[in-house]
Amino acid sequence: MPVGQLVWMSFGDVRLVAGDFQWRPVGFENFIRMFGDETFAISLRNSSVFIFWTVALTMVLGTVLALATDRLVRSQQTVQNVLIWPAIVAPVVVSVVWLLILSPQIGLLNRILITFGIEPQAWLGESFGAMASIIVLDVWHWTPIVFLFVYTAVRGLDQSVLEAARVDGATYLRQVRDIILPLIAPALVGAAAIRLIMGVKAFDEMYLLTFGGPGTATTVITIYLRAVFFDSFDYGYGSALSVTVVLLVAFVLVLALVYRSVRRRFSND
Amino acid sequence: MTIVVPLLWMVLIAFQQPRAIIAPGWRFEFSLHNFAEVFNPNTVFGSQVLNSLIIVVAATGLTLVIATFASYSLSQLQWSRRVVLGVLSGAALLQVIPPMTLVPGLYATLTNIGLVNTLGGLILVNTVFNLPFALIMTKFSFDALPVELKESASVDGTSEFGVFRRIMLPLAMPGISAVGIFTAIQVWNEFLFGLVFTSGGRTAPITVGIAALIQPQEIRFGGMAAIGVVTAIPIIILAIAANRQIVSGLVGGAVKG
Repeated sequence: MPVGQLVWMSFGDVRLVAGDFQWRPVGFENFIRMFGDETFAISLRNSSVFIFWTVALTMVLGTVLALATDRLVRSQQTVQNVLIWPAIVAPVVVSVVWLLILSPQIGLLNRILITFGIEPQAWLGESFGAMASIIVLDVWHWTPIVFLFVYTAVRGLDQSVLEAARVDGATYLRQVRDIILPLIAPALVGAAAIRLIMGVKAFDEMYLLTFGGPGTATTVITIYLRAVFFDSFDYGYGSALSVTVVLLVAFVLVLALVYRSVRRRFSND
Repeated sequence: MTIVVPLLWMVLIAFQQPRAIIAPGWRFEFSLHNFAEVFNPNTVFGSQVLNSLIIVVAATGLTLVIATFASYSLSQLQWSRRVVLGVLSGAALLQVIPPMTLVPGLYATLTNIGLVNTLGGLILVNTVFNLPFALIMTKFSFDALPVELKESASVDGTSEFGVFRRIMLPLAMPGISAVGIFTAIQVWNEFLFGLVFTSGGRTAPITVGIAALIQPQEIRFGGMAAIGVVTAIPIIILAIAANRQIVSGLVGGAVKG
């Protein structure tokens, strides 16, 4: 039902008048306006950069951690337990944690720099630093999800196959590359898809840490949407942007599915 | 290391004397000042923690009750395949939509029924957003039970509801409690809805309270860290105590994202 309402609102000029929504039809005006909207373009680009790096880094780190934990002889359970902590702590708290680390005045990072005689930095105060910071934060926050996915998949592998490879004298790296990774490919694809969706949804951390700034350096899609809805109260236009974002996500997912089925058909032939 | 150090730093700051927080260097002076400052009767944070607790209990309870009945029905009561698949794929699809895009529509709906800025509104929205995932997961739990169980109970003359309550529900309980724990964590951590559907203050959940401390002009680091600790500790204790349920929740939470 909210979805229907969203689509309906996107074709109108919607204003809140004395606590009541008033809807005036404007056809495709909202959608046309989007193409001239520079901030929307910037937010799309920022989201793409953010999503690309966070998905790539969490995938690599999560997989490496999962394989390493699987190789541990002792205390696997404990390591696994601690490794999921960042993922279950509230995003708001994660923001607090990183604010305390990145803050120019009191932050842990600058304290360490000063101790080693290096010039302290204004991490969140500059465009590159701010984007890098929220990427690092997101990677810290969500690598555990990838870790759990891969770890569960690796634990579920048929040990006899790996045993056979070991007997044949395959090195561990070769086992990983030729056996483990292909076998857990479905889990990897699943994890990547989830991380992609999470990247689109990401909001809390940017809202609290940088508020989309400095300037528009970390204004991702969700941050921009909030501003359109709750600072400009432009519900019609905001809805049109929302519809577009949902369609874009759906499009990417469908594209991925089509690509997969096409590739599967070719590899079967 | 990389996981524990940032968290420990927050704990340290929380127990640090406010003057020492701002001072350069590594001196540490233990003090409960930050906690006392944040959780005194004159601030809203106490009632916000209470709000969060109420929302968690109510939303998780509602989610579980609705999800259990619905998924039992889907799993055991011979709906046509098309209905079952339709509901499931609909539920999965909802997970893909960023909640932010639905905010204006929900805001309009909540305004119309007078639930903006109320606990009831937040309970409702949290339930709606956690329901699809809970439904999918509890259905898996019921699917895993052997059909013979139900058949033999029916032969004994037990009513459909009796079968559900006395036989199937207890057997599916481990799965359902995993879903419950996971849902509770999600609701406890929720920030966006609390932010946009309340006007802050005494009606907001604690996550919004923390955010209120992060003002660009003057960040209150000590208080922020103290509330952060209070918000994070229950979850981490839960993680240690109910690790298995949480892991299965997170992994199953695939669709949830």
